[in-house]
Amino acid sequence: MGEPTGSAVVVEGLRRSYERKRQEPRVALDGIDLSVAVGEVHGLLGPNGAGKTTLCKILSTVLLPTGGRVEVFGHDVVTDTAAVRRLLGIVFGGERGLYGRLTARQNLRYWSALYRQPRAVGRQRSAALLERVGLADRADERVETFSRGMKQRLHLARGLIGDPKLLVLDEPTIGMDPVAARDFRTLVGELRAEGRTILITTHDMAEAEAVCDRVSLIDGGKLVATENPKTIGDWLSTYERVVAEDVPEDVAVSVRAVPGVRDATRSEGSLVVETDAAGAAGRVVELLVKAGVARISTGKPSLADVYLHVIGDRGSVVR
Amino acid sequence: MITVFGAAVWFQGLQMRRVANLSALVNTPLFTLALVAIMVHSGRSDLAPYAVVGATVIAVWNMAIVESGGIIDADRGQGTLEALISTPAPLALVVLGRTVTVTVISLLSLVESVIVARLVFGVVVDVHHGWLFAVTLVLTAVSMAMTASALAGIFVLSRSARTFQNALSYPFYLLSGAVVPAPLLPEWLQPITKVVFLSWSTDLIRDCLRPGAVPNALTRLAVVAGLGLAAMVAGVWVLRRILERVRTTGAVSFA
Repeated sequence: MGEPTGSAVVVEGLRRSYERKRQEPRVALDGIDLSVAVGEVHGLLGPNGAGKTTLCKILSTVLLPTGGRVEVFGHDVVTDTAAVRRLLGIVFGGERGLYGRLTARQNLRYWSALYRQPRAVGRQRSAALLERVGLADRADERVETFSRGMKQRLHLARGLIGDPKLLVLDEPTIGMDPVAARDFRTLVGELRAEGRTILITTHDMAEAEAVCDRVSLIDGGKLVATENPKTIGDWLSTYERVVAEDVPEDVAVSVRAVPGVRDATRSEGSLVVETDAAGAAGRVVELLVKAGVARISTGKPSLADVYLHVIGDRGSVVR
Repeated sequence: MITVFGAAVWFQGLQMRRVANLSALVNTPLFTLALVAIMVHSGRSDLAPYAVVGATVIAVWNMAIVESGGIIDADRGQGTLEALISTPAPLALVVLGRTVTVTVISLLSLVESVIVARLVFGVVVDVHHGWLFAVTLVLTAVSMAMTASALAGIFVLSRSARTFQNALSYPFYLLSGAVVPAPLLPEWLQPITKVVFLSWSTDLIRDCLRPGAVPNALTRLAVVAGLGLAAMVAGVWVLRRILERVRTTGAVSFA
């Protein structure tokens, strides 16, 4: 496969609102501009209700925009739907979306036929994909007996069955155990190496950092920023959180004075320390240990925390 | 197109391996017993073969409205409709392949009904016009599949598809001529039966069980096919409208 060039996805001024009875329409996407290069793994990061899934649905032609323009490999999703569908695979998150009474193999062979692949091709691709997502041993068991993580892996295989140039993954690791999530990241790397373009939505910043070439933050239907994964990594280390138990008040006061500590509050007997500078968490831990505090834990910031820091700093509305 | 249609047929066959999906076939012997018993015990054993036809038509219709009619609604309920719409396969073709399978399976009720009538009442169903009988059955099956595709679209427009399905059962037992031959129904109902293809099919099948010429056979076959085709055109139009509507409103995944 040659070096990919150009844009796989072009989104300009995209708007989508939903009519509501006796209420103002709910705006899900409010003038989004986005470009995803051919062969890029692009993350859409945002809290629930940010508009990520709405964007995925519009890209996959199951939802019409109310304004703006979306093209997939040069084909308009509204006027050239058939061409877009031939190029695209979609994986919606969650347990639904598979036929429970059918086996994993039967599911894939059915979807293969819907992508108009000859039977022999469908048979071969189904077997290969089941192997690839680690379900070969369970290929002939009914999907209704699968765990949530197994169903999620089968969703991935279904998304790939049509050999798509663009793969849209909407919260693909929901329900996966850590091992499966790691395997998923490896799989995304392989798909990128094959030259496929991938658009992935997630709440998980660590996942976004691990698999994406670029990440766009969406909030309230607006694109807040497009960053590279290094920035995400910086956020993760910068906004680290420290939680300690049985911290005397004088020590808590000292903690609040540590450079880079943004806030230190009591919550159910614990002291929760928020930092906003690299290395601050380490300094807090050191101080606590020296003061004889034994029960200390550190953690990555949640997406909400990062939004508070990043989007709050930029003056955007934080929900 | 053939790949998609074939896959839809295969898929529906897999879906219908549960007894719950074949309840109409389970009920067929009971309908046969009831209808044939009425004929036999009222001293009109000569009409018993018509009762066999009636029990079959009831089963075919029931499977059409329950199994075929619920196809899209079931996909919407289990969250597969969005993925289905996003494939290159035309939804109408997928639905038609699936309704054809349901209809072909539902025709097993004819075999059931004939066997039950024979074993329990000694009723022999003689077919006097074999070719016409076979052609009528095939055209009826095709028309039923096309009508069921339209129903699948219509039902999905409602959030209470089950109510619609139930409401369409007993009235159509009458309008299809399954229980009472259409010409014997009250005069004001006659025009309605004329637009129900099953009433034409049922009359033709009954005529095939009688010795003597079948009047206007070709015309009547054409009416069966024409009404089925009209239903298919309506079905494709309804499905297109539904797709437009759900893509506009975003209601694709409503269960």
